[in-house]
Amino acid sequence: MLKQPIPKTFATAGLSGLALLAALTLPGQAAASELNVVATTSSLGALAREIGGEQTSVRVLAPPDRDAHYLDARPSFMAAMRNADLLLELGAGLEEGWLPAATRGASNPAINEGQRGHFYAAGKVELRRSITQDGPNMGHVHEEGNPHFNTDPLRMAEVGLALGERLAELDSANADVYRERAEETAQRLREHAEHLASELAPDQNIVVYHEDLDYLEEWLPANVVGYLEPAPGIPPTGRHLQSLVGELEGMDGHVLYAEFQPPRGAEFLERELGWDSHAVPLDPPQDAGLDGYLELMETWASTFRTR
Amino acid sequence: MLHPRHHRNALTGLTVLACATPALAVAQAPDDSGSDWGMDISLILEGIYYNEMSEGIHEPAGFDDGHDHGHGHDHDHDHSFDDGFNLGHNELVFEASLGGLLDGTLMVGFDEDDIEIEEAYLTTRALPAGLQLKAGKFLSEIGYINSRHVHDWDFVDRPLVNEYLFGNHGIQETGVQATWVAPTATYTQLGIELLQGDNSFIPYEGGGGSHSDDDDPPNEIHSSFSDVSGPRLITAFAKFGPELGPDHAAQFGVSGGYANTWQEETEHGSGLEEWDGDAWFAGLDAVYKYSSGRAYGHGDWRVQGEYFYREVDLDYQRRQFDTDHERHGIEGSGKSKQDGLYVQGVYGFAPRWEAGLRTEALGLTNDGRIERDGQDTTIPSFDTSYRHSAQVTFRPVEPVFLRAQLTQNDFVDDHGDRDRGLEFLFQVNVALGAHGAHRF
Repeated sequence: MLKQPIPKTFATAGLSGLALLAALTLPGQAAASELNVVATTSSLGALAREIGGEQTSVRVLAPPDRDAHYLDARPSFMAAMRNADLLLELGAGLEEGWLPAATRGASNPAINEGQRGHFYAAGKVELRRSITQDGPNMGHVHEEGNPHFNTDPLRMAEVGLALGERLAELDSANADVYRERAEETAQRLREHAEHLASELAPDQNIVVYHEDLDYLEEWLPANVVGYLEPAPGIPPTGRHLQSLVGELEGMDGHVLYAEFQPPRGAEFLERELGWDSHAVPLDPPQDAGLDGYLELMETWASTFRTR
Repeated sequence: MLHPRHHRNALTGLTVLACATPALAVAQAPDDSGSDWGMDISLILEGIYYNEMSEGIHEPAGFDDGHDHGHGHDHDHDHSFDDGFNLGHNELVFEASLGGLLDGTLMVGFDEDDIEIEEAYLTTRALPAGLQLKAGKFLSEIGYINSRHVHDWDFVDRPLVNEYLFGNHGIQETGVQATWVAPTATYTQLGIELLQGDNSFIPYEGGGGSHSDDDDPPNEIHSSFSDVSGPRLITAFAKFGPELGPDHAAQFGVSGGYANTWQEETEHGSGLEEWDGDAWFAGLDAVYKYSSGRAYGHGDWRVQGEYFYREVDLDYQRRQFDTDHERHGIEGSGKSKQDGLYVQGVYGFAPRWEAGLRTEALGLTNDGRIERDGQDTTIPSFDTSYRHSAQVTFRPVEPVFLRAQLTQNDFVDDHGDRDRGLEFLFQVNVALGAHGAHRF
């Protein structure tokens, strides 16, 4: 029998073939000077579109009507991240179920953790404590704090300012433009938040499904008085809902939950307590700019006007 | 590199790691960039209750070669379940990152009897132009399920095609891997692996073996194998993942491999039987996932399938002691050609509940390993074996799942007799600690 040794030459040829292929198919460096930004969620995408303007192209990974905790590390995500100059991550564990795998699969050192091309939004703001830090460890724990600050325009304003700085670093030729847009964005977010809050009656109770709407307390006259989930990541149980009803009997308020969460618990509270319930988006549409986010703030605020 | 045989070393290593862990965990304060310099540790524990409700044929025809033996290791690592309670496949996983330069991964698998270093490898994170290198002991990226651990499977057991073509652990080898992700809108990854080539798919004996009989002085036969230095196995794979919008995602793969050495011998009282040759394989894999957008996986679909074909081109010789007589050995050569496939689908029929079906065929082409037939040799041909499984899985909290599986074997044996067996399996699988992100 003919016995070829596994050709070291074959192996070397394979490796250098890969390298050659890589070199040949590299996108023309000079083709587009615009920054290629990939954002995990559409709230971050909205900031990037406003602040980055025509100097950037923005791709949002998570469909806004999905729970960003539980996405698959899709090949299409990896393809987008492969070519990214900047990856925007909300962080604090929100995307931990899929983003690390997608980043590894993208083979793009520019967007690795710790690189300038990796923008970690949770590092730019002070996080609220997560209820998962205090409860029993049921596998859904956010050690760094509550990652759902995309529902807080005041923190998003801070994130916007930091993003402006980062874009300025990456594309110094347009640094002033980014900083200026970031200032404007922060100001519009703050003013709109103040304006919406001023129209509402003070001190309103809300029950939310998950801790994903807790940050409404930070800018609207809201007090979170309960959660439909008995523990984060676990769907409402009859017993838990009964005890919620027992605790909240006689009080007034609203029930808020995300569009992708099952409505059963909210409907039960609506029936038992007479509270109004609202399914709201957590993020603006996938292609939204700042206006889309401002409209979403309006949607959140309007649920407090219902009586 | 740690080796599975060095259990004691592995244990010492574990102890050292375990002692070092608290300090690392403390140092793991999140910083502004989200960088995590510490070590992530997770423990995956599994228990399995197995009940053979009706007994069929245990080994599908044509695949006893290279399976469950031929490793040369002292433990009988056959992964078959005892009737009743079993400690399943448990894993201790350590992952750490060296800045943005390297990721290190160590996966230690254990059950009641064995501790084994399943994977221990470094992955580069800083190479330019979409290139990545991996070195160490790792699961080959060929196909789909080969590189996945039990915790990520949709069924309790490994698909037949992977188990019988590539072994109880799949292709799990020491070597290097290079991958390249193309800068295209459709995800395209190409990769090659240079692997040592010593597993149950590619048995390796090397030179120097001999066999003696009981005569005084003993007659001795030296094995005719020669040493072949590694790497003896080279694999290549390509994966494609088109953009399909918010609800759909898919990945398609094609992969293959070539082993320049396939050596196996069995000793008999009267001599040695040897098979010496080379082998190649090729296959296709596809995965499709549908996301309904509802909570807790309700309404989601996952469909996956794989097909693999392998050919082993072997020289056979039976070498006898009584070489003075006319029976001074039998020689021949011929190709073994075998394949297998599976298709499975899993549907989230309620929040946190899934049900799945899997159907498998092994040996659609089933020309076995060349063997002696009287004074001549023959290439035995066998029928196809089938297996059908149904499962229901419940995930009470994120890191835990309970799975009940019913499996019907429809295996044919080496004599062409076919029989059906029915098995019930119940699996409890728990991931504790910092369980990493799941790959697609």
